[in-house]
Amino acid sequence: MANAARLLIVDDNEDILSTFYEFFNSLGYEVKTAVDGFAALKILRNKPDYFHCLITDLVMPNISGVGLISIVKKEYPDIKTIAMTGYGGHPGALASEARADIVIFKPVDLFKIEHKVAELVGRTED
Amino acid sequence: MTSSTPLIGVSIPMLKIKELINHVAQTCLNILITGETGVGKEVVAQSLHAESNRSKNNFIKINCAALPETLLESELYGYEKGAFTGAHKKRPGKFLTADKGVLFLDEIGDMPLALQSKMLHVLQSGEFSPLGSDQDFKTDAWVIAATNQCLEEKIKNKTFREDLFYRLNIIKIDIPPLRQRPEDIPALVEYYFKKYLSEYPKSNAVKPDSQIMERLCSYHWPGNVRQLQNCIKKLMVLNSWDKVFEELPIDADTPETSASDISQAQLAGSAMHSPDYPFDSEAGKRRMRIISEFVDMSTSSEKLFEDISLKKIKKLASDKVEKEVIIFVLEKVGWNRSKAAKILKVSYKTLLYKMSEFNVNPPVS
Repeated sequence: MANAARLLIVDDNEDILSTFYEFFNSLGYEVKTAVDGFAALKILRNKPDYFHCLITDLVMPNISGVGLISIVKKEYPDIKTIAMTGYGGHPGALASEARADIVIFKPVDLFKIEHKVAELVGRTED
Repeated sequence: MTSSTPLIGVSIPMLKIKELINHVAQTCLNILITGETGVGKEVVAQSLHAESNRSKNNFIKINCAALPETLLESELYGYEKGAFTGAHKKRPGKFLTADKGVLFLDEIGDMPLALQSKMLHVLQSGEFSPLGSDQDFKTDAWVIAATNQCLEEKIKNKTFREDLFYRLNIIKIDIPPLRQRPEDIPALVEYYFKKYLSEYPKSNAVKPDSQIMERLCSYHWPGNVRQLQNCIKKLMVLNSWDKVFEELPIDADTPETSASDISQAQLAGSAMHSPDYPFDSEAGKRRMRIISEFVDMSTSSEKLFEDISLKKIKKLASDKVEKEVIIFVLEKVGWNRSKAAKILKVSYKTLLYKMSEFNVNPPVS
């Protein structure tokens, strides 16, 4: 892709995090990672206009993915948000309520997510 | 607890909690505060309120465990005149008085299931209706809930609604027990000493010296900050740290170990006060003091039993004594290592090895 889209990926499972990092990195994305919502929020507050898209797990310690999405939608409305959940319907429904752009259920297909990211980020650049 | 109690702590988890509060207080997202009884859940909730842009509005607290179901319901939602026998006049509920402020739901784990679903409805819609009313009211209360129970466990037992849990758990603040952050104890002691001294100006209580502080820091505080606070209040009346320590439940008595002690005592068919379990005697205290030099007694009994191994303890104990003896002899012979090796009846090489293992170095002159 021509202009590297900048992603912030958040998951408390470090294996998932590194898999996502490798995958998106190899496709030319610029990727930052965080192990929980609070770490992610601190990165966002440091670089408010930097990221194009947030991909976050929902059930995490301290700030949950739902919390993170709510904050992003309010404070950084230009950032697109993708929620991933492996905990049944409740967190996913709350993420939709928090106006996540896309909610997907684990296990996830990385190529499908990449497709969605490209779509979402493409929309912002239009 | 007064509304002005600050959040005291210098330990890494407490600093992280302060930072988290600072980052999320403006968001007014639902928050769940967890932690053992007495760790300061309400203090955290008050700090959130104080740092939010709702600080000028009400902080309303309700204890979900203290009231029977019907009373809790009418307290939360209020009632209209004539809603039930005794409802002589209309009364506003906490959701209304906490509008634009904070509604702190303490002991949320004890909320009856029927009220949980009503609570869920309010959190979803932001609307509620008082008992006996057919009118819906809007509420903009920031809900902060707290519990010392494991809600995940209660969800499994079907005594807590999963959907309510996720709705409250948007942000979770877990406060570790005091025994896991003893570095916070001196600051807490300082704060409460000053506070109670001003309340009891005639008290002859003296500040703890380093030895007393060490004892305070090594105690496991099953009642956490509240217990420490009560101890210092007691000090103002007793005027003696020794008496305060006498009244503390002894060190070995963590909830986990006491439970296993009881079951072991029952298995053995012996009474709890059998001489085999002298935890409440002087000898028992002495024993725990010696053991705690080598084993971390603050962990759960399961972890404790994993850590205890005679081989490991033998090594720790002999190292500790050997180190002191080596320093003692070296000092006597003016740090002449070959003389010291002869006296200690080990080879010169062994002594050098032990000195480096125990990090024993001659004083820098």
